[in-house]
Amino acid sequence: MTEEKKDSKKRLQGFIRKALKATIKGVLFYGIYFVLSMFLAPVSEIVPGFQQMIEVFVMVYIVLMIIGELTAGTIFHHFFNGAKALFVILYLIFALNGGIVGITIQNVNLIVDLHLFLVVAILLGLLGFAKSVLQAINFLNEKTEHVHF
Amino acid sequence: MRIPIRMISIATTFFWIFLILFLVSAVYSVKDVRFDFGQPQIGLTSDNKILFSLPIIIDNRGYYNIGCFNVTTEILDREGFMITRASTFIPVIEKDRQVMATHNVTIDVNDLRNSQDYLFNDTELEVREIVSIKLAEVIPVQASTNVSTPWGAPLYNFTLGKIEYAGFNGTHMTATIPISFENHASFDLTGSIQIRMYNSTKTLVSEGQTTIETPQNTQYHGHVELNIPIAAATENGYFEVYFSFPSFTLEEPLVMPYD
Repeated sequence: MTEEKKDSKKRLQGFIRKALKATIKGVLFYGIYFVLSMFLAPVSEIVPGFQQMIEVFVMVYIVLMIIGELTAGTIFHHFFNGAKALFVILYLIFALNGGIVGITIQNVNLIVDLHLFLVVAILLGLLGFAKSVLQAINFLNEKTEHVHF
Repeated sequence: MRIPIRMISIATTFFWIFLILFLVSAVYSVKDVRFDFGQPQIGLTSDNKILFSLPIIIDNRGYYNIGCFNVTTEILDREGFMITRASTFIPVIEKDRQVMATHNVTIDVNDLRNSQDYLFNDTELEVREIVSIKLAEVIPVQASTNVSTPWGAPLYNFTLGKIEYAGFNGTHMTATIPISFENHASFDLTGSIQIRMYNSTKTLVSEGQTTIETPQNTQYHGHVELNIPIAAATENGYFEVYFSFPSFTLEEPLVMPYD
C-alpha cells in the first residue's frame, strides 16, 4: 500500500515537473515572440494579416511544444517533436507562398523574395525532424536494451 | 547516440536564432532607410530628345548595406506600345551612407508611333515605375506601380486663320496667313514652320516660313507672308505645312485646305 502511494506520489511529482518545464518553455517562447513582434510592428501595419499569421504559428507551435513536454519520457514526445518540425516546414511554405510574398498597398505592388530564407528554414526544419527521428530510434533502442536487461 | 543528437539540437537552435534575428533585424532596419525623390526636371538633351530627370537620395541608416538598388521607368502609349525604358542602378549603398543619383528618362518624339497625334493632341501616357533593392544584400524586394501621366501636345489646336490679301502690284500680291497654336508641352518650342501654298490645280503657288519661339504652356499667334503671283491664285486650294524643331521633325507635311 505504502509502495503504491509512493509510486503515485512520484508520478505526480514527475508530471508537475513536466508541466512546470512546459509552462516555462511556453512562457519563454511567447516572451521571445513578444519582443520580436515589437520589431515587426511596422510590417504588421503595412501587411494585412501578417500579425494573425504569426499569432497562429506561435499558438500551434506552443501547443505542440507543451504536449511534447507533457509526453516526455514516452515515444509520443518524439512524435510531437517531429510533428512540430514538419508543422514549421509546411506552415512556412504555405504562409510565405513558396517564397514569394506579394502585397498591394494602394496602387503599389510590393514583392518580397524570401526564397533564401525559406530554403534555410526548410533545411533547419528537416534537421529538426531528423533529430526527432534519431531521438525516437534512440528511445526505442534504450527501452529494448532495458527490457532485455 | 545521445551526443550526436545533442550536437544536432545545439546546431539547429543556434541557426534558428541566427536566422530569425537576421531576418527580423533586416526587416526592422528598413524603417531607418529614407528614400527621397526630388523635383523632376524636364528639358532637352544635346541630341534634342526630351529628358526627364528625377533626383534620388537614399539615406541608409539601417543595420545592413543595401544591395542592387535599381529604378526602372517604362513609358507606354495608349495602345501599350513601349515608347522608352530607362534604368538607374546602384550596386551597393553602405550603411550610414547617403547616396545621390539622378534617374534620367529620354523620349525621342520621332520614335513615337503616330507621332502627329502626340504633336497636335493632348493625351495620356502610362508610366510603369519599378524600384528594387536587396535588403542586407540578400533579400530582394521589389515595388512597382503604374500611373497615367498627361502628355501635353506642343502644337495643340494648330490652326491657319483666314488669308488676308494685300499689296497688289499688277503681277503679285501678299497673302498673310495667321498661325496659332498652344504649346501644352513641358518644354519650350523653338524652330520653324514652312508653308507651301497650292492652288486648285495642285500647282505650287508660293512658299514662306517663319521662326517661332514658344515657351511651355503659352499660346502662339503669328503669321507667314507669301508673295503670290496673281495669275496662279485660285479661290481654293491647300497648304502643306512643314514643321522643323530640334526636338522633332515631321516627315510628312500637314495638309490643310483653304477657300
